[in-house]
Amino acid sequence: MPAAIEVRGLCKQFGTVKAVVDLDFEVSSGRVTGFLGPNGSGKTTTLRILLGLVSSNAGVATFNGRRYLDLDDPVHHVGSVLEATSFHPTRRAEDHLKTVALAAGIPAGRVAETLELVGLSDVARRRVGKFSLGMRQRLQLATALLGDPEVLILDEPSNGLDPQGIQWLRSFIRHQASLGHAVLVSSHLLAEMEETVDDVVIVSQGRLVLQTTLLDLANRSGSSSGLRIRSPELDRLGSLLEGIPVAYRQVASDTLVIDRATPEWFGPFAAKNQIVLYEVTHERSSLEDVFLDLTQGYEAPVPGAPA
Amino acid sequence: MIASIRSEWLKLRTTAVPWVLAVIAAAVTGLLIVTVFVNGGRGPAGGPGGGPDQRLGTGAVLHTTQQLRNLAGAGISADLFALLLGVLCVTTEFRHKTVTLSLLVNPHRPRMVAAKIVTTALLSIVLAVILLAVTVTGGGIALSAQGGSFTNLLHQVPAVAPGMIVVFALFGVLGVGVGSLITNQVAALIVCLGWFLIVEQIIQGIWNGTTRWLPTGAAAAAANVTRGRGVHVALFNWWEGSLLMLAYGLAFAFLGSAILMRRDVT
Repeated sequence: MPAAIEVRGLCKQFGTVKAVVDLDFEVSSGRVTGFLGPNGSGKTTTLRILLGLVSSNAGVATFNGRRYLDLDDPVHHVGSVLEATSFHPTRRAEDHLKTVALAAGIPAGRVAETLELVGLSDVARRRVGKFSLGMRQRLQLATALLGDPEVLILDEPSNGLDPQGIQWLRSFIRHQASLGHAVLVSSHLLAEMEETVDDVVIVSQGRLVLQTTLLDLANRSGSSSGLRIRSPELDRLGSLLEGIPVAYRQVASDTLVIDRATPEWFGPFAAKNQIVLYEVTHERSSLEDVFLDLTQGYEAPVPGAPA
Repeated sequence: MIASIRSEWLKLRTTAVPWVLAVIAAAVTGLLIVTVFVNGGRGPAGGPGGGPDQRLGTGAVLHTTQQLRNLAGAGISADLFALLLGVLCVTTEFRHKTVTLSLLVNPHRPRMVAAKIVTTALLSIVLAVILLAVTVTGGGIALSAQGGSFTNLLHQVPAVAPGMIVVFALFGVLGVGVGSLITNQVAALIVCLGWFLIVEQIIQGIWNGTTRWLPTGAAAAAANVTRGRGVHVALFNWWEGSLLMLAYGLAFAFLGSAILMRRDVT
């Protein structure tokens, strides 16, 4: 059975700029996939190719094995939120949805339903030009949901949302996945996606850096954790550490950092050697750090730098 | 296709475009009715039949067939508004980027252009009918006030209505064609107005025989009325003119669709 979304060998060049280079990834049903990369890494271009808005120079981008252009009634299969600007400012929210409903043969009752779903029922008759950015994003989501699609594509949907809005979006996305829908959501901030996504597709400069599960990514970050220790007895601690195979470095007159150490190991070690401690901090490099390492390292490889 | 047309109409009527165009076109037509009376029947189309004794205030009223036809068909001079309707039907979508959503709903671009062509043609016909209503009521009231015959005016409507309807529909089609070729709204409007108000005049001035081949000449033939732009040359007959207009409109629409197919919507 083909994947809900499949991208194979996708290439796109704008003039001399290579926006997407030989990109491969898959998105499964019932899971939320974060499409992550810095600004300008080709995420939006990839999504627009998927949706038939931009042509590709090579490769395929399909939904359950079919191109968007070949889907009958595409809005019944794929719902998409692109940028927050594609509204006519004098059109009322309700009418905006009706233009889609009419063209796609969706019953008029569904318009009120989706407005309710995104919490915009009270402003259904208001002109979109008067909407805040957050309200526009909600209206975009309502538009995407009109056809009750089994695949959702969301391009930076949290842009312009306040913290409550982001919270709401998170539960909205999780709910969609729990219904068995495939959700592909792009972002340039992994931190924002940490609580939402199951899988990650990380791109940089139009190329795939990594496709994996969030769990795997979290393990990578855990493996590069360390202990930051403040103590008046750094000299003695240092000579004790010389005797065992750990890497450490002094970062201040009273502070040193031990790489890949855990408090469970260091606590008994310090007690046994009767070292006075002022402070022990378990430092985990965050997912964001891993993400930055992955994308930046890819962007600007430094010769001779440790991997 | 009917669903797409209903959607296109909803898109249009939820913007100011059709309303503003209709109001301005009606106002222009109203002004033209006034000039018909002021000029004693020479009217906007500059047709024959006006004489000094028929000026407003001398007691004479419009009565010849040509005078009454000029009055009933005064709205034909607002045909460019049908063109603008077509241009705006396409370019407004690009200006506000709603074309992205339109293409997500209907990814087949030529089909989108076709839906706009049919919608605009239908609306242009409605506009022609509205303008006919304006000339018949406005002109009728003015005529009656001066002791003229309203019934005689009504009798001339069948003579001018078909021409107006055909010309408006064809200008609507041409507008969508131009709009899909030149998607930048300002550029498309400048090209249209520049062409019809300036370029055509220059071409006619240089090559006298070209008028019948130009859109204005073809439209004038289609309407079977003399537009009175100061040039009197042989025009095509009405159906030749109509076909030529349609050919212009479809050629632009075809070219526009072909380019749209290759265009990346970003």
